[in-house]
Amino acid sequence: MSEPVRIVEKKPIPSDAIVVQGLPDVGLVGLIATAHIVSQFNLQEIAYVDSNLLPPIVVLHNGLPHSPLRIFSNKNLIAVISEMPIPADAVQPITQALVNWVESKKAKMTISIGGMPVPDRQDIKDPKVFGAASNASALKMLQEKGVDILREGYMVGPQALVMRYCAERNLPAIALLAQSFYNYPDPEAAAAAIKELTNITGLKIDVSQLLEKGEEIRLKARDIMKRTQNEMTRMKKSREYDLPLYV
Amino acid sequence: MSRRRRRSIFDLMSEYMEDFRTWAEEMIESMIAERPSWDVRACCLEPLCNVFVTIDEVVVTADLPNTNPESVRVKAVGEDLIQIKAEMKRKLRFDDFGITHRKGEFSYFRCQVRIPVPVDTEKMKIDFKRGVLEAHLPRKRSYDVKVR
Repeated sequence: MSEPVRIVEKKPIPSDAIVVQGLPDVGLVGLIATAHIVSQFNLQEIAYVDSNLLPPIVVLHNGLPHSPLRIFSNKNLIAVISEMPIPADAVQPITQALVNWVESKKAKMTISIGGMPVPDRQDIKDPKVFGAASNASALKMLQEKGVDILREGYMVGPQALVMRYCAERNLPAIALLAQSFYNYPDPEAAAAAIKELTNITGLKIDVSQLLEKGEEIRLKARDIMKRTQNEMTRMKKSREYDLPLYV
Repeated sequence: MSRRRRRSIFDLMSEYMEDFRTWAEEMIESMIAERPSWDVRACCLEPLCNVFVTIDEVVVTADLPNTNPESVRVKAVGEDLIQIKAEMKRKLRFDDFGITHRKGEFSYFRCQVRIPVPVDTEKMKIDFKRGVLEAHLPRKRSYDVKVR
């Protein structure tokens, strides 16, 4: 029987790289931020994800078909983006396959970018970014960099599972979650998350273009946002609002 | 030895209701033919919308990028239906989305939103911040009961 999730490598994969993941989620924060990083560093496609758990979709760019779930890279940075929401049923096997792959490539660190829904987002000028970590050393690094820590609560979705699988294997991983709209594309939140990523990694990423193109991104991202919302409902994303019980 | 937390009947009911709601939504979705978020004949795009029901009011929001607040119109088109329309600052064509195999241009956002509980549409209040429309509709508090 073939593997349910296959990562097909097209070019040599760098080791000791920082892996940035931006899968569609709240406000498409991770996807918008990671797509901007791919564009800023002119990263090249090095691999893609193939799985019979994904819908039968290809994305056409300049007349050529591509997998919607692709991996880009240069020498020291790897970026994972998906141009379609990951179906709720496929989130677990796909994130597990991605973490296996990241481990096999001996990545320096995995950074998942995402949004944290806040009901009064319209009133927030500068979204705050919160961090979570897979192990004590990654958490210490976040604290040393002055990142606000997500101390208690629930995480749901791709970033949650990346953290869990990385924690299981003691792989360094962090999640950067920017305050955002729940189901409206949020380029400002993506820019805030990138600024925090810059602070943590030292990568120089200019967000001015991203902010200038904010309205255009919001227009273009409507359909993927709508489909992502459907998948978020299926994976019970609203549980992130729940208050945790510790006894 | 770890002890599993016992779930109360309320937890089980809540989970059952959530599963039922997801199933019902999926059923409805599968029965309704999907349509695009654009309408070339009406030259409009459908905005992303949200409806929140609180104890006092229903809040409808809509994401309206590329629009001016002055062009936004919200009107009640029934007791439980409001229409949102907003003119775009700049007309959009399929070309702007990189699509060359379709023709058409869009000058408006337009959608109709159904309100799930009785509201007083005449007391509706509108805000527009960061390109997001927010319509506040106070909930009706009293009901006339017909005497048989």
